[in-house]
Amino acid sequence: MDGWTGQFLRVDLTNRTHRVESFSEEFAHTWIGGRGFAAKILYDELAPGIDPLGPENKLVVAVGPISGIPAPNTGKTIVAAKSPATGGYGDGNLGTRMTDQLRKAGYDALIVEGRAASPTMLVVDDDRVEFLPADEVWGKGTIETNEWIYARYSKGAGVLNIGPGGENMVHFAVVRSLEGRSGGRPGMGAVMGSKLLKAIVVTGSKPIPQAFPARMKELGRDDLREVHRIDKEAGWSLQGTTGVLPWCNEVAALPVHNFRGTHHPDAWMVDGERVHAARVATYGCPNCTMRCGIAVLDDEGREAEVDYENIGLLGPNLDLYNLAEVGALNYLCDDYGLDTISAGGVLGFYADAVERGAAPGEPLFGDINAFKKVLGQIAHREGEIGNILADGTLPASRAFGHGSEAYAMQVKGLEISAYNCKFIPGMALAFGVSPIGAHHKESWIITYEVNQTPRESYGRDKAQKIVDLQRIRGGLFESIITCRFPWVEVGWGVEHYPIYFNTITGQDWKLEDFWPISDRIYAIIKLFWLREFPQTDRTADYVPDAWFDPSFADTEGPIAGRILERDKYDGLLQHYYDIRGYDTRGVPTRATLESLGLAAEAAAAEAYATLT
Amino acid sequence: MKVTLKLAGAFVHAAGFSHKELDVEPGTTIADILAALAIDRGRPMVIARNGHGVGTDEEVQAGDRILVSPVFSGG
Repeated sequence: MDGWTGQFLRVDLTNRTHRVESFSEEFAHTWIGGRGFAAKILYDELAPGIDPLGPENKLVVAVGPISGIPAPNTGKTIVAAKSPATGGYGDGNLGTRMTDQLRKAGYDALIVEGRAASPTMLVVDDDRVEFLPADEVWGKGTIETNEWIYARYSKGAGVLNIGPGGENMVHFAVVRSLEGRSGGRPGMGAVMGSKLLKAIVVTGSKPIPQAFPARMKELGRDDLREVHRIDKEAGWSLQGTTGVLPWCNEVAALPVHNFRGTHHPDAWMVDGERVHAARVATYGCPNCTMRCGIAVLDDEGREAEVDYENIGLLGPNLDLYNLAEVGALNYLCDDYGLDTISAGGVLGFYADAVERGAAPGEPLFGDINAFKKVLGQIAHREGEIGNILADGTLPASRAFGHGSEAYAMQVKGLEISAYNCKFIPGMALAFGVSPIGAHHKESWIITYEVNQTPRESYGRDKAQKIVDLQRIRGGLFESIITCRFPWVEVGWGVEHYPIYFNTITGQDWKLEDFWPISDRIYAIIKLFWLREFPQTDRTADYVPDAWFDPSFADTEGPIAGRILERDKYDGLLQHYYDIRGYDTRGVPTRATLESLGLAAEAAAAEAYATLT
Repeated sequence: MKVTLKLAGAFVHAAGFSHKELDVEPGTTIADILAALAIDRGRPMVIARNGHGVGTDEEVQAGDRILVSPVFSGG
């Protein structure tokens, strides 16, 4: 089966056993790989209502048909599981050598089940599987753990690991790899920690099955060079994602003071120009020629990799405008193995709750040392506050009460990325309907919306744009798998990706052939959520109350007095449902499911919910 | 009349500055300013005038703050 190894490796940590399973060509063509494989496996195999941090949950590490093949930005791997942050489907991608090593070992997915009896490092070398003790690094940060692993294996090995955040099952703990790559915002690191799985190391020696390897080698080499050339010409990687900060600040879209503000006169102190000037190293994922991992020195002289999201949320969102201090929080999050976006959201929420008298504690905004201390408490679940905040903003707001849920800036339990949408309806909806909770990766329409549409519009065109982007970014890119940046940031045409796919698989697919598969993946993720929350309704796709609250509106600046309108947001949400073929609850209709080849899943869904 | 021009992202490195006070004639458009500063209009860009998205044919007014940024499409 060209393009796929045709095999999954299933590992049981409880019994220290493993087995290799085959999958069919039909399965491959139905789900492609990556997120498609992960969503299907988790939907089929997880019983509803299981504890996401119990041994019944499964961690799926999945790659896709173009993963690891030298071509533009194919170094991504998906990590997925039932999320402890949201209780629904969770996943994320990260750049890692795991991508090509897993395929070279002969697998398109690794399914990890059960719970180890003691801290364990899972080591896979082609057909050999070992369960090695990891007590020596249990409790250590991800940076030291990586070094410990690299001392035992080559730096070419595929490595995933967790830090104290994952070990202590912080709900926004991530999986880490290489020097600065993280993935799995909705607590995929916590799932590893719940299994006492400190690290996964994979090495492989087999060729990746390809239909036309010589042609692909030439194509991939030429296109990597071309993307590099375009990036150099455009200058995107001079500042990477941090280059967008001035625009977000200018158009009032920056998170400031737990999203209460949208812009700040000191924001320039942490913008892309300052990051570029402070750069001491650059990191990138495998098979990347437009590397975006810009490292600066933090306030203790350590290399801290920064990007727009983590600067926005660990900087202005906390009233911090010193790049070295923002870098320090980034460094700590990376070493603890915590998601920087959610960490910034949680810290901002807590500081806000303290300021409003809803939570105990001393004032935090603008105080780097106070934030460092709380972050450490979260990572280790130290004390009552550390333990509460380790569950994320939504559970914390319920623990604190006093109306704090209104300004817990999250959707479905996942903290909002660094775009303040108090008056950006389409981007707000993109957060609302993201299938893993509030994440920008699925559908980033904000520049389109602010520059090419009336900002105040709630028109169907915005809902259609969200669906279009979800199909490309959340469906195509997350399943074949590749990084979205060549397409989104330097204009590398999306039409290149079917060419790669066809050259590797021997198929003759057109771009539009991927859209039903993207829709199928979104639909089965919806069914996963429905099974967990059978009484769900459209309010699950709402953004925080603060964005509808006139008292939250800016008092000055370009959007002074403006705020989202609840009834119009609801209308925009309905447009999205109509385009998707979902009912008024946001559930795919039976007809939609059947049209996507999910008739059996539709029939099964009738056991736990009503389909329309 | 005076306006403030701010650049972002790669435009900073291409132009060699990130913000500049400009003295322009009434009727000047953003396109005129970009042409005068030899900023390549062929590059995809987003422009904000006092925080609101506008096109390059927008006429500037005294005291305006103009931001010119490359198009970013999503971190």
